[in-house]
Amino acid sequence: MNPELDLSLQRVIRAPRAKIWQAWTDPGKFAQWYLPAPAVCRVDRLEVRPGGGLVTRMSEDGVTFVPHMDAVFLLAEELERIVFTNTIDSSWRPADAHPVPLTAEITLAEHPEGTDYRVLVRHGDPAARKRHEDMGFSDGWGAVTDQLARAVAEPAGPASR
Amino acid sequence: MAKYQELDAVLVALADPTRRGVVRRLGEGPASVGDLAGAFPITLPSFLKHVRTLESAGLIRTAKTGRVRTCVLNRERLAVVEDWLAEQRSVWEQRTDRLERFVTEEE
Repeated sequence: MNPELDLSLQRVIRAPRAKIWQAWTDPGKFAQWYLPAPAVCRVDRLEVRPGGGLVTRMSEDGVTFVPHMDAVFLLAEELERIVFTNTIDSSWRPADAHPVPLTAEITLAEHPEGTDYRVLVRHGDPAARKRHEDMGFSDGWGAVTDQLARAVAEPAGPASR
Repeated sequence: MAKYQELDAVLVALADPTRRGVVRRLGEGPASVGDLAGAFPITLPSFLKHVRTLESAGLIRTAKTGRVRTCVLNRERLAVVEDWLAEQRSVWEQRTDRLERFVTEEE
């Protein structure tokens, strides 16, 4: 864990591990929560096993779908852990991942109240990211300042669906 | 390496609720130190320390005109974080909120 590059979050979810595992591994279920409404998520591949593909498309209007994720699972331990990265695509080709190259590690553990759910997202070197920005690949760079200020001033509360 | 230090200084500056409050207030426009300080229940010397931290992290710029020191938010600096961890954190926090709702509401 490198606090300058990684983010981690931990949550106790009042549901059994099996249910969370299903939400992560069943394409129909996964599509229902992975992207924020009103965006619609379509799952092309959700092969939760080492080397399996994670391919999704998204749509703002429910009609026109554009590519969203093309990633690969590095590891899958049933009910315990899922690791995927977008730095290699679903055909195992090294990918120039946008907007952010990452490896996400999801960990599920038994908890008296349900499931101890943890996410650790490892990012690459900001310098590499900076080069992309300089080349004009940035997204989110032009966000409005007061929105920005609010985003850093208040931790993300429960999202509106 | 310099970039890491830059990001680090910004993250440290934003790790404090008073300093985040100042950033949020300055998001609405420039303000004088006196006006800003009035909004926080801490002593002026403590508040000035926060201002210095924000300034040395490059998050705000200050300029003195006569007796009044005005603070201005440095948007680009904020974007350093917004573009990195803050944005990503909010994506994952909200994603986890949705997952949580999905698995706890599902019959």
